[in-house]
Amino acid sequence: MAAENNIKEDTGLTERLRDPATCRAAFSDVIARYSQPLYWQIRRMVQRHEDADDLLQNTFMKAWSSIDTFRGEARLGTWLYKIAINESLTFLEKERKRLNISIDDEARPLIEAIEADPFTDGDEIKKRLREAIATLPEKQRLVFNMRYYDEMKYEDMSRILGTSVGALKASYHLAVKKIEQYFDEAD
Amino acid sequence: MKEDKETNRILTQVDHNDGMTVPDGYFAQFAARMEELIPESITPPAPAVRTTWQKIRPYVYMAAMFAGIWCMMKMFDLMRPSSPVPGAMLAEAISDDSFMSDYYFNTLNENELLDNLFEEGYTPADIINE
Repeated sequence: MAAENNIKEDTGLTERLRDPATCRAAFSDVIARYSQPLYWQIRRMVQRHEDADDLLQNTFMKAWSSIDTFRGEARLGTWLYKIAINESLTFLEKERKRLNISIDDEARPLIEAIEADPFTDGDEIKKRLREAIATLPEKQRLVFNMRYYDEMKYEDMSRILGTSVGALKASYHLAVKKIEQYFDEAD
Repeated sequence: MKEDKETNRILTQVDHNDGMTVPDGYFAQFAARMEELIPESITPPAPAVRTTWQKIRPYVYMAAMFAGIWCMMKMFDLMRPSSPVPGAMLAEAISDDSFMSDYYFNTLNENELLDNLFEEGYTPADIINE
């Protein structure tokens, strides 16, 4: 189930996307290739399957509507991840405003969503780890998810998040420490 | 991926698996849904049509800016304290020969005359008695 780090460049796919005659069929291949890794990336940020489904659809619709702006300089996967992450962060920001909660208290609705999530394998340790990750600040959560679950290289993360490799390593290290602390306090 | 040395026992236990699942056949259904949502061809964006207002808007804004500056200067001019004798009234008085003769030249001459008398040793009392 774990989302694979699928940021592999397919130059053939990029070429087909740039050709109006083959663009539509190529985009179907993009959906087939990237829907799973993008879904898991979004789901780990927003927790609810229904929200992740909506955001994944929005991600592909936005990608399609701006496909002519994708020139192939950036990797296709990097471009799609950026759109998906922006969609997720915008959604979380809107939710915070809708529920009138501060950024310091943003973990509460996420933890409630994890508690009530019907789409899990029922493993208690994994659920507790999800809750621990939900207490991290947004950017740290992103970094941790990409590194730990997607097993993404720091260089790829750097391209997606626009942050230096050193800063990402520090952020991941800090995230792990906070998760450890969360479990230590809970035990 | 090589394990990060920070990875603790909890992270080792879950083994990079978050335990989240999706409904059966979700990704196949999602792909089918997207096939329906995405149009068959890329429709080029309609060329932007500029309305008359959009065309003249920069000129209107520029005219409004100059009008604003003019109004501001006018306002400052009006707010400036006015002189005791309004300009128009003074001009009218100067153009009147009798006014100049009655009020200005006469006064001037009288003053000069008095000055001369004082210089010659007359006192005000002498002038009154004479």
